[in-house]
Parts: sequence; structure tokens; C-alpha cells
Amino acid sequence: MSNPFFRDKNIIDVVKYKWLWITISLLLIVPGIIAMIYSTVINHSPMKLGIDFTGGTMLQYGFKKELTSSDVANIRKSLESAGIENPVIQLEQTNNEMKVKIEATKANIGASEDTKIIEKASQAKKSNINSIVSIRTRFLDSEKSNNEIAKINQALENQFGNYELLQTSSIGPTLGNELFKNALFALLLSFIAIVGYLTFRFKADYAMFALIALLHDALFVCGVFAILGLLFNVEIDSLFITAILTVIGFSVHDTIVVFDRIRENSRFLAKKMSFNDIVNASVNQTLARSINTSLTALITLLALYFLGGSTTKNFVFAMILGIAIGTYSSIFNASTFLAMWRSKDIRKRKPATA
Amino acid sequence: MKNRKFMLLFILGLVAVSIVIILTKPTKLGLDLIGGSRLVLEAQKPANVSKITDEMMNSLQFAIENRVNKLGVAETLVQRVGEDRLLVEIPNISDPQKAKEYLGETAELEFKEQKMGFNGEPTWVSTGLSGKDLSKATVGTDSVGHWTVLLQFNDKGSKKFADLTARLVGKPMAIFFNGELQSAPVIQEPILGGSAQISGGQEGFTIEEVRKNVDLLNAGALPIPAKIIEENSVGPTLGLDSIEKSKIAGMVGLALVMLFMLIYYRVPGIIANIALLIYGLIIFAIFKVVPITLTLAGIAGFILSIGMAVDANILIFERTKEELKAGRTLFTAINAGFDRAFTSIFDSNMTTIITCMILYLLGTSIVKGFALTLAIGVMVSMFTAITVTKNFMHLLFGTGQLKNPGWFGLKKEQIKKMFEVADTDPRKAKLGVLD
Repeated sequence: MSNPFFRDKNIIDVVKYKWLWITISLLLIVPGIIAMIYSTVINHSPMKLGIDFTGGTMLQYGFKKELTSSDVANIRKSLESAGIENPVIQLEQTNNEMKVKIEATKANIGASEDTKIIEKASQAKKSNINSIVSIRTRFLDSEKSNNEIAKINQALENQFGNYELLQTSSIGPTLGNELFKNALFALLLSFIAIVGYLTFRFKADYAMFALIALLHDALFVCGVFAILGLLFNVEIDSLFITAILTVIGFSVHDTIVVFDRIRENSRFLAKKMSFNDIVNASVNQTLARSINTSLTALITLLALYFLGGSTTKNFVFAMILGIAIGTYSSIFNASTFLAMWRSKDIRKRKPATA
Repeated sequence: MKNRKFMLLFILGLVAVSIVIILTKPTKLGLDLIGGSRLVLEAQKPANVSKITDEMMNSLQFAIENRVNKLGVAETLVQRVGEDRLLVEIPNISDPQKAKEYLGETAELEFKEQKMGFNGEPTWVSTGLSGKDLSKATVGTDSVGHWTVLLQFNDKGSKKFADLTARLVGKPMAIFFNGELQSAPVIQEPILGGSAQISGGQEGFTIEEVRKNVDLLNAGALPIPAKIIEENSVGPTLGLDSIEKSKIAGMVGLALVMLFMLIYYRVPGIIANIALLIYGLIIFAIFKVVPITLTLAGIAGFILSIGMAVDANILIFERTKEELKAGRTLFTAINAGFDRAFTSIFDSNMTTIITCMILYLLGTSIVKGFALTLAIGVMVSMFTAITVTKNFMHLLFGTGQLKNPGWFGLKKEQIKKMFEVADTDPRKAKLGVLD
């Protein structure tokens, strides 16, 4: 026991409590899996899919007037009379959040950009939006005579006066399907690429447990969004897939740091210590780094979440969840699984070598 | 030592160049930040052709470019995507409906004559004379002062028109515009001059209608029909709001990370913070030089890469602290910290770059922006977090034993205790291994 880490009382014996970590992981993941199964039964997809994947139209309007829920009911009525069935309408009060500081914008864009943008800024400042209405429907035809979007615009203007079109998004149903397939393909391809790279740089069993850890992390994030989808109609879009891929990258990032230390330690300490002890030492040696790295990433993400634009909020939230769970799994799951696997491996091999 | 001075000069030069670039070049902002419309058109295969060819797509692109240019907006983009799609980006258009009117409409002009149908009713049939035979269209007025579209045929069209009017003397000839009957005058005598005019039927045209139709006719009919399959537009208010918010989020995030590094890692933390600022300058200069269009997702990728840039320094400093605890000299400890952390940094950054590459190849444009900024960020951070930090560390600390453990956030007792334990042989010490 010449290793200094075993004299330290603060050391966490991660391998000893392996069943505790597995139980915590199950508690984190199983509710999400149940939600995904439930959602598949009632909605035919494990998470609520946004228009990116199903095809459809999303229109977002800003109004000076403060709208109420009875106004929303009126909007619904007029949409349905225009032949647009089951629109999803959301109302949000902004509390003057949309006020834009012209000076700041001017400075940000720089002197080289011309006055056009600054004019827009002053328009925006004047507009003082108080309510934001988001309408989500099936794919609306917006070409030629049957311009359904124009009809909605007209109906809203008639009811509530001037509005500002904040953003619109329309995706044809066939394209939506294609985007969804592409996203799944990207996900699958990156799994294969990561496992391939890790097998090349480490060993096949390291790669396998890194894969299990990242699946664990991806499942947790998907599960939380499945639950949010069922409870609050939160939808997933292309950006969500990006978030999952980034989480996977981070998860592997964390796992690699621990594995790299195990690899290094086992090169020099294999004769003196059991593999379990090597894993424990390695996890503890990298603990400060794992936590500090996640903290810095979380600091920037939390700043983005609370202060950043509204369009990337869900995206950032998915990454916050993913990075937190990624740190957990790299410390407590990936390495303990590796230790469990290696100890079983040795037991199996013993009779053969004896 | 000479090498180190050269490196320092190189870093300072890089910083100077970056600052010059940042001050002189404009930032390219994406449509989601300045507001604008982004449309994807898909060519529809006409019934009479078996396959959409490259030539068809090229002429469609040409026609669409013509129309987009008619909008009079700077920095528009028409780009071929995949087999049969066109991506159209129009910045600063606050009303997407207007953009679409120009793109989706065909401005189809056709001259038709009357023939008896099977049921004995007269029907309009095509004469073969159409918008393709025009040389140009202009705005005009008729004898009673109504706005009209004046048509000038090309040589072939003039001849066709003369033949047609000669054949139809005493009979009506109809002008169909976008499939709608505009007028059907009875031909009095052959028209030989090669020009004609369209009046807007009983209600007449407004000046706006005439102008739009003239523009569309001059831009040329679409060679094959195209359908809008994707459309995104962001109003200027939301865009500005996003710029402003991302800027604040980025500043606050950066400030908090720097504060954390300072408190936890002390003097090395300050060096990491300087490296981080240099990182920010280089990245911004790269964005401006390439140029990379900054979108909201791209900014998110950049802010995330700040977190990853710091990670490399955390790995190195943790390792250096361990080596110092084991009683090594400053120079050895710093070198061991960098050398031993390198494989972790390299392997983990490689996996990030691999996922970024896949995202870039398969993703939609939002996703592409994110992947690109993150990948560039990770690569630049390998330089600033390793080379720049190492250089500064050696310059500042030099060699010899650590006299002020507080500089590294360590306590004197910690070092002593470890020093007693460590009895490693020189070979292992060089590798930074703990026994």
C-alpha cells in the first residue's frame, strides 16, 4: 500500500458501492423509459415530435395588446372556421422583455454595418410587444390562391389590430420525414464512429462501456424530454438531436479522461494493485477535473439558459441535463462497469490458466 | 529558451493580427439574427419528362436568381441543395409572404383560341404562343387611361403572333395570365408590329399589379415548376433580441468561468484566463476571415467551446498540482502536467470533432452552423490551452522548487506529506507516475 491515495481518508471507493450507483442510474432512467413507452402508445412516437420531423407550420406573432386566454379561444375558433383543424396555440406574456437597446446593438454590430439594422432596432423599440402567440398547425398551403397563412394573418389583424410576425416556419411533410431519418442516421453513425475510435485508441471493452455510459446519458435526456412532452407539450426538433450528439461527445470526453488514467495506471501499477484498486485510484485522481470541467461547461450553459435567446432554450436545457448526467456516468458507471467486467473476466480465465 | 521567445513573439503577432481583423472586417450574421426568410424549393417533375436533369436545375436556379434579384435586397443567396432542391435566403425581408409571391408564382402567359369541345361547348385551347416568345414587358396605359402590361415579342414570337392574328380575324383570342382569363378581344385585323397589351379585364389592373406582372414576365417563366417545401422566417425584432441576449449570455458565461478559474487555480488560473481571451480573439478573427455566418446555434456552439477550452487547462493544472504534491520541481511538474494530460485532451477532443463532422455532413443548416463553430473552437483551443498556456507558465515560474504553494492553491503541508511518501525512480518521475 505505497499508493498515497489509500492513505487519504477522503477517497471514494466507487467500486465497492457499485450497486448503489446502478440503483441511482435506474431510478434516473426508468421513469423516462416508461414515459417513452406510454408516449409511443398514445402518440406513436417516444417523444413529442416538432414540425421539423412531422412537417407542419409554426407561426409566431407579437402583439402590443395584452391578450388573454379568451382571445386564444377566439383565435382557435376563427382558425377552425377557416378549415384549419386542431391548431396548437400558445400564449406568452413578455413583460416588456422584448425591448431592445439600440445603443448596445449598434456597438455589437460594429460601425461597418449600415444604418438599416439600426432603423429596425428603433422600430422594434417602438413596437413594445406584450404578448406572443404561437400557432402550430398542419403544413399550410401558402402559395397562390389558397393562401392559408395570409388568411390567418388577416383574421388576427381583424381581431387584435397590428401585429408583428416574429417568426414563421413551414416544413413539408415529406421533408419532415426525411429530416427525421437523417437525424437518426447521424446519431447511429456517431455511435459507430466513437466506438471505432475508442477501440482503436483503447481496447474493445473500454469502448463498450463508454458506449453503455453514453447510451445511459442519451436515454436519460430523451426520457426527461418524453416526460416534458407528456406534461407540457415540449417538442423535440433538429436542435434537440444536436444537443443529444453534443451530450454524447461530452459524455465520451469525460469517460475518456477516466479511462485514460486507468490505462496509464494499469501500465505501471498492475503488479502492485488489483484492477478494482486501480479503478478507484484513477477515478479519485480525476475527480476534481471531472467536476470542475462540468462546472465550467454548466456555468456557460446556465448563462445561455437564463440570459440567452428564447429559441435555443430547450436546446440548452437538454445539454445541461446531458452534461450533468454525463459527469455522473463517467465517474460512477463507466469505470465501475469496467471493474466488474474485468474481475469477472479474471475469474473466468483462472481455471484455464491454472 | 530561444525557442520560447520565438513562440511568445508568434503568439503576440497572432493576437495583433486577430485584433486588426476584428476591427476592420464586418461580422456576417445569419438570418435568425438580422431577420429574413429562408426557403427551400423543390423542383416538381413535369409529366412529359422522365427525369429532372442538371440543365433543368441550372435554368431553374437562374430563373429564381433573377426573381430574387428583382426584390432589390442585398446579399441574397440561391444555392443548389441535393438533387432537386434550391435553398433561397433573403435577408431583411420582414414579410415572408412578399418574398414567396415572387418565388412561387409562375407568371405564365398564354394565348388561346376557341375550339368546339366534345360536348358542343366552346373551350379555350393553347395556340403555342406563350411567355417564352416575349422579348420584354413594360408598364403602359390604354386609351382610357387604365394601367396595362405592354408586351414586346421577340422575332420568332412576332411572326407567330402575326400568323395567329391573321388566322383569327373575326374570332376571339384570349390572353390567359397565370391560368386566369384576362381578356378575349375579337381580332379585327392581323397585328404585324410584334407588340400587344394586356388590360386587366373589367376591373382593370392597379399599378402594383402591373408592376409585379411586368417584373415576373421579364424574369422569365420557371422552366419547371417548383414547390416551397420548407420556409423559415424571423422578424427583425426577434433577431435583435437574440443578438442582444446571446451577447450578454456570452459575457456573463465567460466572466463566471474566468472567476472560477481564478479562485480555484490561482496563478495558473490567471494564465488560463489570458489564454482564454487570446482564444476568443483568434476565434472571432477566424469567423470574420472565412467568413462564417454566425447564427444563434453557431453562437451556442462557440459559447460551449469556451467551456471545452477551459477543460484542457483544468486537466493540465490538476495534473501539475498532483506532480507538485509529489514533491517535484516546478519545471518538471509543469512539463509532466502537460505531457500526461495531452492524451486525454487529444482523445476527448477527437471524439468531439468526429461528432461535429457527422453533424456537419448530415445536419440541416442550423445544425451545420453549430457543428462548424464547435469544431473550430475545439481545434483552436488545443493551441491556446496547450501551447500558449505552457509558454506562459514556463516564462512566469521558471525552474526550481515551488516556494509559494499558494500560487497553485496548495498548502505547504500537502506538499511535504506527499514528498515523504514519494520514492519513485527517475524514469517514472519523468513520466509523472505516482507510486
